[in-house]
Amino acid sequence: MFFWRLLTGRKCLNANTKQLLRDIVGAEHFSDSLIDLIAYAKDASEFKHRPDAAAWPSSTQQVSAIMKLANKEKFPVVPRGAGTSLAGLTVPIKGGLILDFGRMNKIISVSIEDRLAVVQPGVVYADLARVLAPHGFFYPPDPASGAVATLGGNVATNAGGIKGAKYGVTKDYVLALEVVLSDGRVLHTGSKCMKSSSGYDLTKLFVGSEGTLGVITEITLKINPKLPLTSTAMATFENLEDAGKAVSDIMYSGILPSGLEIVDKASLIAINKNTDLNLPEVEAILIAETDGHTREETKFQLDKIIEIFKKNNASSTKRADTALEAEALWTARKTVYGVMARINNNLFVEDMAVPISKVPQMLRSIADIAKKYNLQIPTVGHAGDGNLHPVISVDGTNPDEIKRVEEASVELFEKVAELGGTLTGEHGIGLFKVPFMHLEHDEISMEVMRSIKGLFDPNNILNPGKMGLDI
Amino acid sequence: MEHKYEFVRKYRDQVLRCSNCGFCRAVCPVFGLTARPAYNARGKMLILKEVMDGTIDLNDELIETLFQCTTCASCAEICAGGVNVPEIIKAVRRDMVHIGSCHPAFKGMHLVLQEHTNIYGENEPADFKRKRNQKADYVYFIGCVGSYREDEATRAALDLLDHVGVNYTLIDEVCCSGVLEDVGYEINTALAQKNIDLILATGAKTVITGCPYCSRTFDNKAQYGALKENGIRIIHISQFLKDADLDVKTDKVVTYHDPCDLGRHCGIYEEPREIIRKIAPNFVEMRHHHADALCCGAGGGVRGAYAKNSIAMARRRLLEVEEAGAEIILTECNSCVHNLDNAKLRAQKFKIFTISQFLSQLLREKLNEDYLDQEPARLKKRV
Repeated sequence: MFFWRLLTGRKCLNANTKQLLRDIVGAEHFSDSLIDLIAYAKDASEFKHRPDAAAWPSSTQQVSAIMKLANKEKFPVVPRGAGTSLAGLTVPIKGGLILDFGRMNKIISVSIEDRLAVVQPGVVYADLARVLAPHGFFYPPDPASGAVATLGGNVATNAGGIKGAKYGVTKDYVLALEVVLSDGRVLHTGSKCMKSSSGYDLTKLFVGSEGTLGVITEITLKINPKLPLTSTAMATFENLEDAGKAVSDIMYSGILPSGLEIVDKASLIAINKNTDLNLPEVEAILIAETDGHTREETKFQLDKIIEIFKKNNASSTKRADTALEAEALWTARKTVYGVMARINNNLFVEDMAVPISKVPQMLRSIADIAKKYNLQIPTVGHAGDGNLHPVISVDGTNPDEIKRVEEASVELFEKVAELGGTLTGEHGIGLFKVPFMHLEHDEISMEVMRSIKGLFDPNNILNPGKMGLDI
Repeated sequence: MEHKYEFVRKYRDQVLRCSNCGFCRAVCPVFGLTARPAYNARGKMLILKEVMDGTIDLNDELIETLFQCTTCASCAEICAGGVNVPEIIKAVRRDMVHIGSCHPAFKGMHLVLQEHTNIYGENEPADFKRKRNQKADYVYFIGCVGSYREDEATRAALDLLDHVGVNYTLIDEVCCSGVLEDVGYEINTALAQKNIDLILATGAKTVITGCPYCSRTFDNKAQYGALKENGIRIIHISQFLKDADLDVKTDKVVTYHDPCDLGRHCGIYEEPREIIRKIAPNFVEMRHHHADALCCGAGGGVRGAYAKNSIAMARRRLLEVEEAGAEIILTECNSCVHNLDNAKLRAQKFKIFTISQFLSQLLREKLNEDYLDQEPARLKKRV
C-alpha cells in the first residue's frame, strides 16, 4: 500500500514496438485494449498499475523473441500466471508488457517411474493434481489458491501450502527449469535426477525470484506417491501459550502431521459474529491431520498428537472418524477467509513465518497490535511450520483506517524481525514487503541480491520495482 | 450526490466487495474458453471499479466484456465475498443501453420483441395439436426455444403429460421476455400481461413450464406478480415428473447437465436426478456437476451475440460428457439442448435429450415392445 503513492509508470511501448510484438505472437494474441489493461493492472493484492500491453505467447521461441525485443527497447516485461498474488508480484508497477501464460498450459509429460512431471508454466495446480491422481501420485505444495494458481506462479513465488510442515514447499520439488533470460537466451537449469551436486544450483535461484531474473517457460517437478488415508483431530486451548507449546511438542515428537493449523480467538469471534457456526471462543484451536497407508498408521500418529494436546491442557479434543466429520473440524480454518471477505471491502491476507516455538508470542503481539490500532486482525496459520496469516479486513475508502493498517503493518514486521522470523513464508515480497526488506536482510545481503539482479537483468526490464532490488 | 449509473447506486458495495482473489477463473465459462482475464468476473469487477472511481466511463470499448457473460452465476456460487456478479452485470447492461452502448444483437432482440411475440421473430409456432386456451387444471407453458427450435422435445413432453393423464391446456403464449432483463432492457409488460390473461382465463392453478428460464421469470419478476396473487403455482416439468411412475428403464450410461437456470438460479438439482436414477441404473456425473456444473454457453444473450464462443463453450461441456463415458446426456432446458446439440461433433456418438424427451422415447419403445409381444402376427405384416 505504501507504494501506491510512490511509483509512477513509464510508457515505453510505441506503435512500432507493438507491431513487432504482434508479429511475434500473432495479432489475436496481443492486446492494448482498455479492458485488458485494466484487468492486468491488479492481482489479488491492493496494488494497481496498468501495463501498456499484454501478450499471450505459446512457445519458448516466442518468449525469447519478446525478451530480445524488450531488452533492445528497454521496456518492462512482467510474466503472469493466474494473478492470485497477495503481495503485488504481478502488478506492472512500471507499465510495460504483461506476458500471460494462459496459452502455455500443457502438461508435457508425467513419468511415474522417474517420479517427475514436466509442465509449462501456465498449468493450473488443480489440473496437474487431477492428472496425477489416477496414478496415486500428487504434487504436495498445495496453495489455498490451487484451483486457479499456475505452477509458473507457484515457482516464481516459492509457494507453500497446508502440507508444508511434512512435505515442504515448492523449492523442494523443482528439479529443473527452462528459463528465457532478459536478452532472449534460453537457459536450462538442473536435471531430471532426484539428486545433483553439479555446479551452482541455478534452479533454486529462480524459485521464488518473482520474475525478476528470467521468464520460466518449462518446469520439471518432483512428484510424490499419495498416502491414501488421513485422520483428523481438533483441540481447543484456553491459553495461547499452551497451544504453542503443543505445536512445538508435536513437531519434535517424531510424528510429522500432514497438516497442523492454528485458528486464533479473533478468528473465532469473527466467524461467530457472521455465521451460525457457534464455535467455542477459546484463545486458540489447533487442527491436526495425519496421513498413512493404513488406518492403524494414521490413528497411531493421531493418538500421539491428541496425547500431546491433552498434556498441554487442551480444554477439549475431538477426533473425526468420517470424512464428513473431518470436514466439520476443518470448518473454522476454512471459513475465516470468506467471513473476513464479507465484513469489509478490502482484504489484506498477511504472511509471515517465525520459528515454531515463537508462534504463541507472535500471535499475542498480533492481538496487541490489533487492539492498539483499533483493527480486527484474525489470524490463522500453518502452525506446524510457523507460518502465520493475519487477515486484515478494512474499508479501503476510509483513509484513516488505511493509515492505521499501514502503521500496524510496520509494527507487525518489526516484531517478526525481532523474533527471528521472516517477512514472508509463502506469498513473496512483491511490492507489499519492499518497505520491510531492510528488517530481515542487511545491506550486504541486499547488495548481493542486487548484484545477482544486475547480472541477469542489466537493463532492469524483468518485473521491475519488485523485491526492493531496483538499481 | 447520487451516482449517474444505476449499477453504482444499486451495487456499489458489492462491486467493492470483490477482493480480486481470482478464484472465479476456475469456474467462469467465458474465461475457461478464452483464458482472457478481462472476460472473467474479476476483470469485469475491476473495470466497474474504475467506472465507479470515474477513471473511465461506460463506453463501447467495454461491450466486449460486459455483454460477454452468460449470467451462469458460477462465479457468484464460489465467491468468498458473496459478490452477485450476474445481477451486477444485468444492471450495468441497463446503464449501457441507457447511454446507447449496447451489443447490436441485444438491441436486435429488444426490437424483435417489440414487433413479434417470440425471440426468433417468427410468425408460425409448431402446431402441437393439443387443446389451447381451454379450461384445465394445468397450463403447459412451452417457451420460445421449445416452440420454435426444439419442437420435438416439446412434443415428447406433451406425450408424457398425456400418458400420465394430466388435464392441461396450452395457451397462445408469447415470449415471457425475461431475457430482456439479462441484456439491458425491461420485461415487455404487454407480453407479460398477455401471458397472465391467457393463464388466468384457463382457471388453472398450476403452470408447468418446459423452460427453466420462463419458470424463473414467472416466479420472481414483479411483472408476473399477478400469477402469485391469484394463487397460481409455477413448477418446472422436472419437478412435476419427479413423482410419475412410468416403469421404463435403460441400460445405457446416462449423465445429466445442470442448466444454470434450474440449478444455480433455482436450486433444483435433485428432482431431475431422482427421475433419471429411477430409469437409468448406469447414471454417472460429469466432472463438474450440481452447483459446480459448467455452463453450456447459451445464456445471458451470449448465443445471439457471441455465437462462435457460445458453441465453443458448449464443446468444452461436451468434452466432459466424453470423459464421463456417457451415451446419453440429459438436461432440462431446451436452450441447453439446442446449444449442446449444435456443438456436437459427428464423431461424438452420445445423444442429447431433455429428460421428458428421453422418457417419452423409452415409453414409446416399451409400448411398442408390449404391443409386438402381444400380437406377433402384426410384426410379420410390418416386415
